[in-house]
Amino acid sequence: MTIGVLVDVLLALSLVGLSLQVVTGRALFRDLVLFILFGLLIALSWARLGAPDVALAEAAIGAGLTGALMLMAYRRLAAGGAADVSPARRRPLLALPVAALAGILVAIIGLSAQGVERVPDAAGTLVLQELSATGLGNPITGVLLVFRGLDTMLEMAVLLVALLGAWAVLGAAHPGRLHQVDRETPLVSALLTTVAPVTLLIATHLLLVGTDAPGGAFQAGAVLTGCGVLLVLTGTVRPRAAAGLLTKLLAIAGLAAFALIGVSALALGRAPMTLPGMWAVYLIETAMMLSIALTMTLLFARSRALGPEQR
Amino acid sequence: MTGIVLGVAVVFLLLNLLAGLWRIGAGPTAADRMLAVLLFGSTTVAVLLIMAEWQGDGALRTVALLFVMLATIVTLAFVGTPSDRERP
Repeated sequence: MTIGVLVDVLLALSLVGLSLQVVTGRALFRDLVLFILFGLLIALSWARLGAPDVALAEAAIGAGLTGALMLMAYRRLAAGGAADVSPARRRPLLALPVAALAGILVAIIGLSAQGVERVPDAAGTLVLQELSATGLGNPITGVLLVFRGLDTMLEMAVLLVALLGAWAVLGAAHPGRLHQVDRETPLVSALLTTVAPVTLLIATHLLLVGTDAPGGAFQAGAVLTGCGVLLVLTGTVRPRAAAGLLTKLLAIAGLAAFALIGVSALALGRAPMTLPGMWAVYLIETAMMLSIALTMTLLFARSRALGPEQR
Repeated sequence: MTGIVLGVAVVFLLLNLLAGLWRIGAGPTAADRMLAVLLFGSTTVAVLLIMAEWQGDGALRTVALLFVMLATIVTLAFVGTPSDRERP
């Protein structure tokens, strides 16, 4: 496996080099582009480490959505004439000792991790042993929905709080100030009609295979967000000033579905958060995917709601 | 034997990625840098597809699929960015 080691060393070196460039760079757009590449290489590293679930999430959120978000921010800066502002001056006297100390810390943690023995009945091993009882084939989905269901439900609550917080600070900001792509630009509308349906297909695929293979509500939600971002960017859907009932219902769908099914187990005399069957898994996953996608798209568009273009 | 060939292919593609870094550093326009990103995206897809075969992990093909999709979003977010030459 020497060639594997070579691949790993190449990946590790380019990651360190890229991050150094991103942090110390002086041109805003160049650093931004390098950051997107950093996300790509991180996803490759996860793939190399045999963690396709994380690679999926990193590809969707780290490289794709964050990249689009930063490009939009750059566009606003450039439109305001602020993109030429050079990043804060470096302070080598401060930076070098900090870098050295951080390096020593990483080395110490790495070296001490070498000596740690494998605990025989660690949580991961137990999950793999008990997985067949859940009817799920993907241990990650098993942990997220069955073994640590409460944590996942609270994650949905965190997402909801983030949305409410954004709505609170949004104030009376005029919706639709987003710098949009002109749909008259050649190929944009053709691209949209091709890519948007495909994203829906991929999101559904990820949701359905998530029970048995890498995928699941979070990855599917991120992909669906990609579709939403496409629609927002091209102005196909436009920000609205007030959220309607549908928006509010979709925003709480994930949390509500999880909580209702989890608590209803009590009424049936079972432990709370017990899922009654595979239908519950699919229901919760679908609701979570919709909530995640809606929340992230609204956050991206800085708006309370989205609706078709009004003529 | 196949494993070695696939591994060498991955190394070759990774070196290609690093060569693409030069274009990002050199520029000179934002469009040049963005094209380098898209080149990176395509090469990453190739690396993932080879890794899927090499490591016997079919799920990596889904990751590759996602990269193709997300490249279009990043491109769209870039389209219309005021370029270095003609700033409004």
